[in-house]
Amino acid sequence: MIDDKIREKIISIVGRENCLTSDLERFAYSYDSSFIPLTPANKPELVARPQTTEEVSRLLTVAYENQIPVTPRGAASGRSGGSIPLKGGISLALDRMSRIIELDPMNMTVMTEPGVRTIDLYNYAAARGLFYPPDPASWKFSTIGGNVAENAGGMRAVKYGVTGNYVMGLEVVLADGTILQTGGKAIKNVTGYDLKSLFVGSEGTLGIITRALLRLIPLPPRRGTLQIMFGSLDDGCATVHQLLCSGIVPSAAEIMDRLSLDAVARHRKMSLEANMAACLIIEIDGDDDSAIAAQTSKIKEQASKNRALAFRTAESLAEADELWAIRRGVSSALAAMAPNRISEDISVPRDVFPEVVRRIQAIAANHGLSISVYGHAGDGNLHPSILCDMNNPQEARRVHRAIDDLFAVAIELGGTLSGEHGIGITKQPYIVQAVSEAGVKTMQAIKQALDPRGILNPGKIWQ
Amino acid sequence: MHPCEENKLLQGVKDKVSQCDRCGACLPVCPLFGVRDLELASARGKNTLGRALAEGIIEPTREALKAVDFCLLCRACVDNCPVQVKTDEAMVDLRRLLIEKTGATNSKYRLVGGLLKSPRLVGIAARALSFLRQTGLNNLVPFGLAPDEYTRAHFLASFAGPAVLGPPAPSIVTEIGSGAKIAYFQGCGMKMMFPQATAESLAILQTTANVWRPNNFCCGLPHLAHGLREEFLNLARKNIRLFEKADLIISDCASCGGTLKHLASFFQGDPLWEEQAASFSRKVMDLTEYLTVIGYTPRKRVDGALTYHDPCHLARGQGIKKQPRDLLKMTGNFIEMEEAGVCCGGAGSFHLDYPDISALILGKKLKNIEKTGASLVVTGCPGCLIQLAKAARASGGKFQALHISQAI
Repeated sequence: MIDDKIREKIISIVGRENCLTSDLERFAYSYDSSFIPLTPANKPELVARPQTTEEVSRLLTVAYENQIPVTPRGAASGRSGGSIPLKGGISLALDRMSRIIELDPMNMTVMTEPGVRTIDLYNYAAARGLFYPPDPASWKFSTIGGNVAENAGGMRAVKYGVTGNYVMGLEVVLADGTILQTGGKAIKNVTGYDLKSLFVGSEGTLGIITRALLRLIPLPPRRGTLQIMFGSLDDGCATVHQLLCSGIVPSAAEIMDRLSLDAVARHRKMSLEANMAACLIIEIDGDDDSAIAAQTSKIKEQASKNRALAFRTAESLAEADELWAIRRGVSSALAAMAPNRISEDISVPRDVFPEVVRRIQAIAANHGLSISVYGHAGDGNLHPSILCDMNNPQEARRVHRAIDDLFAVAIELGGTLSGEHGIGITKQPYIVQAVSEAGVKTMQAIKQALDPRGILNPGKIWQ
Repeated sequence: MHPCEENKLLQGVKDKVSQCDRCGACLPVCPLFGVRDLELASARGKNTLGRALAEGIIEPTREALKAVDFCLLCRACVDNCPVQVKTDEAMVDLRRLLIEKTGATNSKYRLVGGLLKSPRLVGIAARALSFLRQTGLNNLVPFGLAPDEYTRAHFLASFAGPAVLGPPAPSIVTEIGSGAKIAYFQGCGMKMMFPQATAESLAILQTTANVWRPNNFCCGLPHLAHGLREEFLNLARKNIRLFEKADLIISDCASCGGTLKHLASFFQGDPLWEEQAASFSRKVMDLTEYLTVIGYTPRKRVDGALTYHDPCHLARGQGIKKQPRDLLKMTGNFIEMEEAGVCCGGAGSFHLDYPDISALILGKKLKNIEKTGASLVVTGCPGCLIQLAKAARASGGKFQALHISQAI
């Protein structure tokens, strides 16, 4: 409980203009981009928006002393409920800590505060010939703090990896207010435990990330974007699989099924023939135009072997953006198709990607549900989305059974629950199945050691 | 409001806002969120508020009304939303609903709305403002509501140097039937605040056709935007009747044009008016749209640098971006500014209600205009022109603001 005295203390730390207390304002910080219902509203008792690490530290000291829950929040664009203040307390909005602190061109690193938008960091680096590859679909609005805390993936993971692969160091405020510096600019670093990696993907349950030191790489000089249509998902998946096996690694390879395409086509002009059942969007990069042309022709050849129906190469940056907008808009477009959209985030070894797609289609048929499939064909992470009406109890039961089946298939094929969204609230019931009892116990032991009073993002990851 | 109508309105809001999955795509594009970074100021925040109201999670309070009032209705969010959630329409509906539910008096808007309802009163206001301008007292009117008018004469005088002369007379390619009855719709803003621009629009139009000028009524947007829907519909009916005999209705105000083009949607399902409203809306064209269709060539080419600001109701409200630019490219050295399509912060009466926020948004616009180095910024809406005139003054004479009819 935050009483008047504590509230005034918090206000004295962050300033009145950085504190929201009215009922309506607190409601606005009760949700994120997940399918967790708005009601009952998970309103924080107070929203605090610190501007410095020191403020975060003092704030956590107060929270620790008074055992007040603290839930960090960036842009609330997460899909698993990570930033929802499930137990009330303080919503710690880090969006006003939005400075890029230092770019070190010699070491190719950038130091940033958590509230910097992913795309702004990308553009900042790109303007200096450097490349920050992780690009979650939400990169135009998501922030770095959330990206690190959820270990966000993105389209380019197939070639360049995920956020965690670029984290070299972190500044973290621990539950009791201690400021921890971990990692650094040295590429090799085995000085004790790799603590920075502990916080990557920790979903705000172990500490508050107040600075991130990120690795950059040289920006590939040329890029190409291709769109290939297929008569079946199988043909599209096979193409990506064969390309990877033959040593052609696109910087992104995204697949969408017909349902996803139809959802997007409701909102933007797209020409879809009746027989087009899958769309592949591929990005390639290289040193020069001839490198792009060579890859393009090999991809084209492979796609033709798999009965590709149409092939389009983006001729301009604007056209490439247009192709990517189709993919980036899928999730929200699907959400608008039905009263409820339950979106999953399973991830499997990439060699079984075609198999998992076939199994999902079978699950949809078995339960009589509409399940769209889209995702990162190149890295094995996909987002089956169940379009349903959860107010219909009979349908809701089928949905729950289908989700059970989805996770069972993912795990059976050597994969896992979440590739890039995190567990948050939405996938808690399945965590033991995914990481085993021993896995959860180990995580709980770490949590207990770092946050003995359980104030950091309580109620997340496991039940 | 009848409970039945109230439920219908609420259901309509719910249908619109429940399409939002709260992804956050609107956050970086909302001009208000850009200067006031509160979730509740963003489209996502306001849509979710709408949903919560519809689901009964939060109460219809004055605070909620204030939150939905805090919207420019600029449609930047709609344009950038993966599913084009109609936030602007939802906000207009919510305003109406919350005014009703909270018993807010809405007196300020009723007063202004009452004035605008009468062409006679608008005329009196126009003459009063003209008097103020002549006497130089206009600068005492707050919020830049009685702007100095930078005229075409000023414009030509500034570029009297080595001007490249265009062809002497506009060559008109008539794709519109030569006997077509062309009417001019004069918006209240143009009438009251920019008589010189109106005169130029008419001068241009007269070279292309014999223009009919009925004494039209307000388009009703100020009423619609502030919950006075009945007043809006009444004005619409009057205009529909008035313009029955016109073949084309030309507007040089983006907001009027945008509103008039969308009238049909407000009469959907109305057996008496649906067809007439649709036929009316089909006849409405923006000045630049019309001039492009008939192949108008600007009267004179000048040797100056011009830039253009997209009015929300033209770029997003009507999808007109290319036509004004093409006309300006024929007029002078056209330079595109960054974020030309971002709202200037005027937004009807928004700049009166929130002068500080509006000034912050305009400050960004001012920087973008100055960055082009252009000595003129051109636009097609009196609402924007009020703002841009303020920006011009703040720039200390680095640039001037003009309505497009004064430039071409």
